[in-house]
Amino acid sequence: MKTITNILLLVLAFTFTACDQQPAKIHVREGIRSDDLASNIVTRPVAHAFSALIGEGIEIDKAILMNNDSGFLELNINGHNRSYNTKRFRYRIEWLDANGLMVQTKTSTWLPASATGKSSFSLKAVAPRVEAVNFRMDTRKWE
Amino acid sequence: MRTKIIITLAGLLLTGCATETANIDVVHDDGKAVMALDYRDFAQAASEMIQSMISSGALKKPGGGRYVMTTARVTNDTMQRIDTDQLMAKIEEELMNSGQVVMTSAVGGKGAPDEMIYDMRDIRDSATGDEFKQETLAGKKTLIAPELSIAGKIFQRNIRYDNNRQQVEYYFQLRITDLTTGLRFWQKESIIGKRGSNKSVTW
Repeated sequence: MKTITNILLLVLAFTFTACDQQPAKIHVREGIRSDDLASNIVTRPVAHAFSALIGEGIEIDKAILMNNDSGFLELNINGHNRSYNTKRFRYRIEWLDANGLMVQTKTSTWLPASATGKSSFSLKAVAPRVEAVNFRMDTRKWE
Repeated sequence: MRTKIIITLAGLLLTGCATETANIDVVHDDGKAVMALDYRDFAQAASEMIQSMISSGALKKPGGGRYVMTTARVTNDTMQRIDTDQLMAKIEEELMNSGQVVMTSAVGGKGAPDEMIYDMRDIRDSATGDEFKQETLAGKKTLIAPELSIAGKIFQRNIRYDNNRQQVEYYFQLRITDLTTGLRFWQKESIIGKRGSNKSVTW
């Protein structure tokens, strides 16, 4: 009897959690939204510590290249931060011509970026020369 | 004898403690941030401005060709003695290399960027002009007037953050204006913020 009651309570708990679905475009962070079995005052520190232990960080999901109306190459990068902490970093984009050679430009400089914990981020860059047809990107820690 | 040894040792110590001079690796500078504006800040601001200008499409001339642009007044309203060319030289270079703009040296916010344009015309109109082959001297009504101008300002705000730290905000504001119609084609503000010790100076 006691076992059945416990199972029923667990099922109810999961049901209420499942019903409380946020729309995909709205991100309500832990500490602001209601706690659930997966994220509460007990499990959160454990999850954060584990994330730090395995060294979670930034990941790039997609890099989209397209030409704008003026014929310049535009780069849009989408990524996400797997860590629970805000990740600050610098990135530099170098533009390459059809021969794979670097296009010399003052815009290829280290620029700051940051991504809040457990959230997506976007970067955008525009090539300042029409001969740029490709790119390469480097990142480094924020000093 | 003992005094001589002490003086020699003291001299060696002072020499050993002297800070070495080294060149900055401007491509991969891992140095700490400073409260004042340094070359990295100008590079960052210039890069953001250039990318915004190019991606906005404001410099795409209808019918093709390049706009003639002049750099008008870019005011330094910070507490530092900076030459706004530290920002504008980078922007002018990139705009010209983009193929959308050609800069004029005949007029500018700080006077003609190249006074030689007018010096040669003074020579043409003087007795010295007779020494030159006339066909090699610039004629009248040959200069091309600018169609666009880029102007703006750099200013800063100092804010007390707490008992030990201050916050300094640097604002870079630029705008491009059509000189024929007076309409503003493009505008952008770029902010660089710094937070550091109250003891650091920003001038």
